[in-house]
Amino acid sequence: MVGLPGYGEAPISISSQPSPDMVDLCIKAAGDLTNALHRLRKGDILWVRGPFGRGFPVEEMKGKDLLFIAGGIGLIPMRSLIKSALSQRKSFGRLTLLYGVKEPGEVLFKKELKEWEKRGVEVNVTIDRPHPQWRGNVGVVTTLIGPCKVDELKTSAVIIGPHVMYKYVILSLGSKKIRGEDIFLSLERRMRCGMGKCGHCQIQSVYVCQEGPVFRLSEIRHLREAI
Amino acid sequence: MMDFITKKGFRNLAQGLIKDYVFYGPVTKDGFPAFSRIEEFSQLKLSQTPSHISAKGFLFPPKETLLRFDIEKGMAEGVADAEKQVLFGLHSCDVHAINLMDRVFSYGKPDVNYLKRRENTIIVGTECVPDEYCFCASIGTMTVDEGFDIFLHGVKGGFIARAGSGRGRSLLKKYASPSKTKRAALKELERLTEKKKTLFKARLDIDDPSLLPLVYSFADGHPVWEKIGAVCYGCGSCNNVCPTCYCFDVRDEVSMDLKKGTRSRVWDGCTLEDFAKVTGGMNFRKTRADRLRHRFNRKFRYLADRFKGLFCVGCGRCSRTCLVKINISEVTNEILRASKERPLAVPAGKSKG
Repeated sequence: MVGLPGYGEAPISISSQPSPDMVDLCIKAAGDLTNALHRLRKGDILWVRGPFGRGFPVEEMKGKDLLFIAGGIGLIPMRSLIKSALSQRKSFGRLTLLYGVKEPGEVLFKKELKEWEKRGVEVNVTIDRPHPQWRGNVGVVTTLIGPCKVDELKTSAVIIGPHVMYKYVILSLGSKKIRGEDIFLSLERRMRCGMGKCGHCQIQSVYVCQEGPVFRLSEIRHLREAI
Repeated sequence: MMDFITKKGFRNLAQGLIKDYVFYGPVTKDGFPAFSRIEEFSQLKLSQTPSHISAKGFLFPPKETLLRFDIEKGMAEGVADAEKQVLFGLHSCDVHAINLMDRVFSYGKPDVNYLKRRENTIIVGTECVPDEYCFCASIGTMTVDEGFDIFLHGVKGGFIARAGSGRGRSLLKKYASPSKTKRAALKELERLTEKKKTLFKARLDIDDPSLLPLVYSFADGHPVWEKIGAVCYGCGSCNNVCPTCYCFDVRDEVSMDLKKGTRSRVWDGCTLEDFAKVTGGMNFRKTRADRLRHRFNRKFRYLADRFKGLFCVGCGRCSRTCLVKINISEVTNEILRASKERPLAVPAGKSKG
């Protein structure tokens, strides 16, 4: 939870590789708190509580191909996992990033995307609708899934994006036959306490702040309201 | 332990507690039973029917400061205010509700504010009579064995006083001159308890309430959610009066000079429109039907495994207070009826979906 006294707190994911000394937070100015965070200058203090909940099982993913599917600001938490994988590049098989945004101006970490490509990530970016300044793929992120070659037995897929994206991405992944326990999703929910008490992030019996936000598809497939 | 205290002993107990502690008990407000601060014995009006608003606010206040911060210095200190208090005149359902709240706030990372206040709270329960909304007998909360310091049952000439803790025993000794309960009084209490079972107008049509989580798990698609969702105002009154609704929001307030402030938690309600809404506008429970299904399931299903109990204690407060008369026992009975229907033979070529 990241906060400022007077503005409250919001759940923000870490976008750097986990490290005991330092973390990167990449925050979109969207509400009162996040706009106030954008007004901070070097040397100002922001408040942090946590971390809470469960992240990606990086150890378990070792030896596998990773298929990252990010939509919009979903690339921010994905960056943490991508950087972790790149720091131990030899422990992983193929790394593929499918990244969809609405328009070219929303593409995040442009320099890093190029750098990741050099270090062995296959990067595919798409924008929702044609744009005069864009020469790359056009169409929602699911259009990148079809052409993607996947070895279903040795691939973990990771999906992070706006809620509306999950259902369609999961349906498109269906034809790739990746098992439900190898598909990981990070769920966004309203959160106030981070400790499984305030009730806002609850999906049926599950507290996303504590038991998530990262879930396997097999864990939440049958949970109404989850996807 | 079953002690007997006379009416005079009762008066001495109440008066002693009023004098020595911050004392909250039942009074009559606008003709209705309500819990309030009591400073004189004459204000105490034991109520046989439930208060409209539960007593949860004395352990989990509607608004509670968690932090005081100094913006200039970048400093914050935790606040956990908990004065020694007495909650007097709680009914069996209220005590059951507090036992559930104890489990919630001890689970995982313990909630210091609640637990400190709970430790400093003396609970004295009293006997009750069901009104048209009470259905505790159907849900196993008509009587209570733990969670109180003293529980009083009115019998001829006084009260049978059960001590539920060492603290309760010493308070009885200190104020109420308890004596051994005569066999006749015990018989009378037995008779009264049996009679109470016959007085319920509201009941759930289920013999084993521990099956309710299972029954609810088959009811996500039941038409009752759309039906009650269509009339619900989404006002959150049910959340407010419920003794086991504990969801909260966290808010900051800043002094006029923008130098200092407080962070508080305030009651929130899952039936309110923006409860599950996130920045950008996505609402994970957009319709009132979604939100009511969530609330009812929280009472009967979602929390049952984790906290080993139903989160409905049968007090009927949500039904009593609902502006459009959504009734929790009637809704549950509708679901129970559907669960008992024999599956119809599906005509060939058609699927029930």
